Order: sequence, then C-alpha cells, then structure tokens
Amino acid sequence: MKNFFIILAMKILNIILKIFHKNGGNLLGKIAFNWNPEILKYFKTNCPVIAVSATNGKTMTNNCIAYTLKNSGYKVVSNVEGNNMETGIISTLLKNCSLFGKIKADFLVFEVDESYIPIVFKDFKLDTLVILNFFRDQLDRNGEVESLILRINEFLKTYNGNLILNNDDPNVARLGQANPENLNVYYFSVDKYKYATENIKEAGEGKFCPFCKTKLEYEYYQYSHVGKFNCPNCNFGNNEIYKLATNIDLKNRCFEINDVTYNIKGNSIYLVYNYTAVISVCSLYNISTEIIRNSLSTFSLNNGRLEELEINGVKTIINLAKNPTGSNVSLRILNEDDDEKELLFVLNDNIADGFDVSWIWDINFDNLNNVSRIITSGTRAYDIAIRIKTSGFDSCKIEPYLDLTEAIQALYKTDIKKYVIANYTSLQPTRKQIKHFGGLEK
Amino acid sequence: MKEIKILYLYPDMLELYGDYGNIQVLKYRIESRGYSVIIDRYSIDDDAPDFNNYDIVFAGGGADNEQSILAEDLIKYKDNIKDAIKNGVFFLLICGSYQLFGKYYKDVDGNIIPGLDVFDYYTESNPDRKSRCIGNIVIEVELNNFKTTVIGFENHGGQTFNISRPFGNVLFGNGNKFNDTQEGYFQNNVIATYLHGPLLSKNPVLTDYIIKYCLDRKYNENIILENLNDEFENLCREQLLNRFLK
Repeated sequence: MKNFFIILAMKILNIILKIFHKNGGNLLGKIAFNWNPEILKYFKTNCPVIAVSATNGKTMTNNCIAYTLKNSGYKVVSNVEGNNMETGIISTLLKNCSLFGKIKADFLVFEVDESYIPIVFKDFKLDTLVILNFFRDQLDRNGEVESLILRINEFLKTYNGNLILNNDDPNVARLGQANPENLNVYYFSVDKYKYATENIKEAGEGKFCPFCKTKLEYEYYQYSHVGKFNCPNCNFGNNEIYKLATNIDLKNRCFEINDVTYNIKGNSIYLVYNYTAVISVCSLYNISTEIIRNSLSTFSLNNGRLEELEINGVKTIINLAKNPTGSNVSLRILNEDDDEKELLFVLNDNIADGFDVSWIWDINFDNLNNVSRIITSGTRAYDIAIRIKTSGFDSCKIEPYLDLTEAIQALYKTDIKKYVIANYTSLQPTRKQIKHFGGLEK
Repeated sequence: MKEIKILYLYPDMLELYGDYGNIQVLKYRIESRGYSVIIDRYSIDDDAPDFNNYDIVFAGGGADNEQSILAEDLIKYKDNIKDAIKNGVFFLLICGSYQLFGKYYKDVDGNIIPGLDVFDYYTESNPDRKSRCIGNIVIEVELNNFKTTVIGFENHGGQTFNISRPFGNVLFGNGNKFNDTQEGYFQNNVIATYLHGPLLSKNPVLTDYIIKYCLDRKYNENIILENLNDEFENLCREQLLNRFLK
C-alpha cells in the first residue's frame, strides 16, 4: 500500500513539474527512494529490459537503441535524458508506470552508470546488458577502474541473460568469463581503421592479462587501449565475434557489417563501436536490417556529443569530454581533419566534474594538425593552458579566459573552423552561449 | 651542451593521476633554456639501471594492485638507491612511491608490506577504506632559504607517520594524515610528497629548484637559470591561491 501512495504522490508531483515546464531530472526517483529504498522491487514488467553501460558512449548508444526499436514500431521506455543512476532509473519508471507499478511497454532501455549495475539489477530482471568500454574517469570520485570492474564481474557471476561485450577492450572482454555457464555472451569488434597505430598513443588501462598477468600483445590500437589484442600465454581475447564492423570509412561516414553498408552521422572511430553495439542488440531482437540502417543514418543526439553547428557562417563542432579518453578521441577527430581550425577547451572543476583536474595531463596534445589558435576557459582555464603549452604548442597562440562569454567572443574573432571540447558541467553553458552568440538561441 | 638525465621508474604501472606530467614539465623547462634532457624508463623485466648514472629519479603513484607487484621488484635495488641518495642524486617521489621508500605500509587488514626502508617514516592505511584524504592542497615550503607556496591535489588513504623533516606546512588540505599540519618528506635532494596535480605543473619555482640543484651538482657551479615566460603559471597560482586560502 505504501508503494501505491508513493507512486501516486510522485505522479502528482510530475504533473506539477510539467505545468512549470520542469523535467525534474532524478528528483522523483530521489524522493521515492528516500521514502522506500526498496521501491525498485515494486515495479513490474513483462517486457525485455536492455541496459547499456560504459565509461564513454552510454547516452549515445542507449538512445540509438531506443530510437531504432521505436522505429520498428515498438513502445519503448528509456531514460534518454541521461539520468543513469539508481534514482534516475526510478524516475523514468515512475513516469511510465501504473499506480500499481506496472509498466506497459515492449522494451525498457536504460543507460546505467557503471557503478550502479549491481545495485539496480539486483532486484530488476535484466534481459540484455551491453558494455562498451572502461577508461579512467574522475578518480577522485569513482576510485580506480579495476575495483569497478571487479564489482561488475561479481554481479555477472550469477547473470545468465544476454551479455554484449566489446571484444577490443580487454577490460570489457574479460567479463565474458565471469559466468562460464552463461551461453548468451556475444562479442563485437571493429576492424582496423585508417588512423589505428602500432603503439598506444593515449593513456590506457588494459596492459596485462587479467587472468594470467602476462603482458598483452596488440596487433594495433584504434584509440586508447581499444584495439586488437591477445594474451600470448592463455589466448585471452581470441573470441568468436558476433558482429564485426569492417571497411571503416570515416571520411564518407560509413562502415559495413556482413556486407551491409551503414551510413552514420559523425566521423569518429568510437561512434563505430557504439553503433556496432547497437546493431548487435537489435539483431538479437530480430529488428530488420533496413530499419537499423535507416535509424543509424538519421540518428544524432544534438546535445553536445559531436554536435555540428554553423555560427555566423563558421563551422563549429562541439564535443563533450569528461575524461582523458573522451578528450583524446575528440582530438583524434580534430587531427584527422586537415582543414585549418581553432580549438576552444572549457574545463571546470565542479563537484560533478571531479575536483581533480590532473587527468588533463593524460590528454595527448602532441603534434596538433593545423591548429592555429587555442582558447581555454572554465574554472580551470589556466590549468589547461599550462598543459597545452607544455606539450609544445606555441604559448603565444594560447588565450586563457576564466570568463566563458569573453572566451567565446575571442573564439569568433576569426572565421576559421572551430572545434570545441567541454567537460561535464561546462558543456551545456558552452553550447548555450555559443548558440546565443550565433543567434540560434535567445 | 649541458644535459640532465632522468630515470622514470615504472612508467607503465605508476601512471595514475597524471603524474607523468611532472616529467613533461621538467623536460619543457630544461629544454626551453637550451639544455638537453634524456629520459630513460625502467620497469619490471628491463635491464637493471645504475641509479648513480642519473641526475633525477622520478616515480609516481599507481593503483594499489600494481604497487604491491613493483614493491617486490624495487627492493632489488635498495643498496644502489641508498647509495645514489647519499651521492646526491635527486629523487622526486609522489604518493605511492613516497610510501614505498619508507619503512613499511600497513594495509587495512593489518598486513605489513615492507618498504625500501630508505627513510624512517612509515604509513598505515586508514581503517575505513572509504575515507581518504582527497582534495586540493596548498603547502608552504622552504627551498634554499626561500619560502614559497606549492599547490597540488591529494588523494590517499594512507596516513604517514614519523616524518623527521616535512616537505611543507599545510595551509589548505590534509597533508601526511587527516588534518595534519605537515606534508611530505624533504631533504636537499629528496622530495617525497602526496601532491599530484601534477606537482610541478603549477609550481615553477619548485621545478627550477630541482633543475638548478641538478645542474649545480653535475657541473659544479652556481648556475643562474634563465627566466621563462610563466604568465599562465602565475595567473593560475593567483587564481587558485585566492580561491583556496581566502
């Protein structure tokens, strides 16, 4: 009975929030959770639950899966706004359930914060779990990557649902052995792309075999520690691949799987990984290739994830980067583009960003391709300026501004193409101000 | 051309928290003055280095798991390291390496992991695993009778005791223990500290102290380092000192 009233109260609150045009984020979930920490158990559904987790790429992959399933005519409930902690998921369920906690949908699709997988799915039956990658991320808040992986591994020991894993990230692929009795493990992989390297170019994690501690051997690295690896001692990494992306052509924004060409919006290698995961999930649920193709060719997030804008006629590409790998892949996109360009890097150190900004020293700023000027901003504008200067970029071409408005004005003094990298709390203010500057938003 | 040789210990294992940035800052400030720098890396399975062949030995912090593996390896060089310190080779040790050079590290379960026993201090982990000294930190240090502030970031569970001479006095943050007044360990040619950030990135005076020390020792002179353009560093320090100390 208590749960009935919690849901009723939250539904009323949701209506009030709607009247005031507020989304509420994970507020409903927070209140409900405080009322009853076991509220998750109360929700009932008969449909498959799909979850996506990773350090980077959760929102994009999750939303693209939801989008594709919707395009197939299914009713999908998903936390597309990115509220991915326990309370965020409860919020999404509260908004979509009956007063008795029943959720009528064909699919529930959730992006879940890495550390919340064991918590959320302790009480909530999971049909498919997708894991994309693990990178170092806000060490002062999250702790070391290894302890996080061990917690997920523990959860997976008793999990028998579909498990879709990136075979090119050793820290993800290892999870396929957590439960040897689970026959529903599927690995995906992406073939070598044009800018793959023989040696690791950016900070990475998977150096030693998690099973026998031997140094892993890499045929090539795509980015960070993601690439074709193998353990020379115990053969870890040599898995049968369920979906393999081939003929990666980022210039023309397409790749192939099983001789079918998929066109995508965006030109980064990590997108190919995200979309290969999407295709793996959708294939398991027998979504037609044609619908998947159409969905991928029209899908984009437009919320600062590789968002492309025209600001007073100047091409501007904005990308979120909240950890070294996110920044490094953004710089990869910049370096793979031969046009002259200017970079704006916005770095904040608010609670949600992590107070520790030392991760910027794991970003590879060496040999930037045709970058004529760099503007820095955010509460740590000077830290990032020092970092870039130390990498060898001419300090006369670096302009730090603590004030974001000044930074954006300085950025658009020229009409050279712009790349914008912003970390977590700086992303939305930066987008908003750039759009405002360009007259795209009031 | 004058040259500084750096030995970078376990770069593949002690590589968290951007500590590698210290090597980059040293390289930048040495090369900007027209000197040359050689950076040799040593890790497990590599040929044994002679620590006496270097001007600076650097080691950073790492994941707990990896730290215990390399503790076993490093102990092989104990005598060579002691000798090099006695001869005046500069040692810059951050976080995990700072702990490793002490008498021992006592983990949460009470197990004693022996250190190199080069210095007299020892470290005990905090009984509550979740409670760590994490945050921005500012300390006041004295280098060649000159007082200056050093800004960094600390993230450690270990509490270090029995420090004969600290690196600095804490102005903001924790230090060797929760709410401590002292941070790190110092002697003329040794800085052992919990400060990440990386340590040298926002503290050019400290970096230049190390560079001058090495050149003076190696070339037996009293060198005056050429001034560099430290505009960003100075602005950064002003901003952060205002934020943390006021």
